[in-house]
Amino acid sequence: MVDDKEGLSKSGMRFFGKMSASATHEIKNCLAIINESAGLLEDLSMMAEKKPPLSLARVNDISQRVTRQVNRADIVVRKLNRFSHGVDRKTQIANLEETVSFVLDLASRLIAMQGVVIKVTSPLSRIMVETNIFYLENMIWKAIETACLAAKEKKQMVISFGTDADTPSIWFSMDAVQNDLMDDLFGSKEDRALMKHLDISIKKNKDNNGFGLLLLKRNPVTPN
Amino acid sequence: MKQVYQKLDVSKKSSVEMPSKVLLVDDEKEFVLTLSERLQIRDMGTAIVYDGKSALDLVRNDAPEVMIIDLKMPGIDGMEILKEVKQSRSEIEVIVLTGHGSGQDRKKCMDMGAFAYMQKPVNINILSETLKKAHEKIKTGK
Repeated sequence: MVDDKEGLSKSGMRFFGKMSASATHEIKNCLAIINESAGLLEDLSMMAEKKPPLSLARVNDISQRVTRQVNRADIVVRKLNRFSHGVDRKTQIANLEETVSFVLDLASRLIAMQGVVIKVTSPLSRIMVETNIFYLENMIWKAIETACLAAKEKKQMVISFGTDADTPSIWFSMDAVQNDLMDDLFGSKEDRALMKHLDISIKKNKDNNGFGLLLLKRNPVTPN
Repeated sequence: MKQVYQKLDVSKKSSVEMPSKVLLVDDEKEFVLTLSERLQIRDMGTAIVYDGKSALDLVRNDAPEVMIIDLKMPGIDGMEILKEVKQSRSEIEVIVLTGHGSGQDRKKCMDMGAFAYMQKPVNINILSETLKKAHEKIKTGK
């Protein structure tokens, strides 16, 4: 029991740290562009004092650049804020597809670094589950990370959803996988604690090129 | 042959104090475009690439004096570029300029031979001074 708590806590901290570091890195990039744009305006103003005129089109272009970066940083901060509020409640009702999309959005920079292209196939109808949203996001990220690592050469991944109404599931399939990585899926103490907390079990798909997260014992909520 | 390293005013006499071939490597396009223009205003010649592979190609074909590289990029990342450049062309000075602020990364980069490790957003005067010092080191061989 103590092991489970410790494993769960470590997994959560690691996930929170990884997502926060990625988001703040992106915000820093926005600030760096704003900083250079402000500096460039200053440079151009000083040059215009000696050798006018200063092109208004140029000033407008730099101003738009700053606006774009403010909007970009604002989106990152909103995502980080939503993510941080995931720990507010022990359980809540969540749309499975929306939760996957949010994790993909939140981790888009990390995924881009790995050069993986991910396609999401929407379920035929909404799948609602009652769960701890923070740990579900953590589990989805671990699955994406594992699938990215297991993917061979052509890094393309399809995320789809199971149709069994009693056992909601999310499937991660790659074009080709490295079998050694598929042999020991989610075997660490942290992973096991996370799966136990969420009542999730893992199943390889029938083509052996991916796996699914099966949300067991979790009464699915009927969509409105 | 196309001039790879651009200067703001080609008719102007080059500054002997500042490097004429600075290669900027960063996948943040708006950042490098703006920074490049600001360095050109300060009498430096600059070239821009947005990924590690293009950077290493340019190092082979028209080597810069100084490189400014980001650490986190898709494909070949900054650490790999630094390692490759210091192994094959150790005379090129490399300044790491990143938004990723880990102390471990700083130590690793400096141990691998980086000339300086700087954080984004950067003060242009400090960066220019660092570029000047890198240029001096190349010229004097110290």
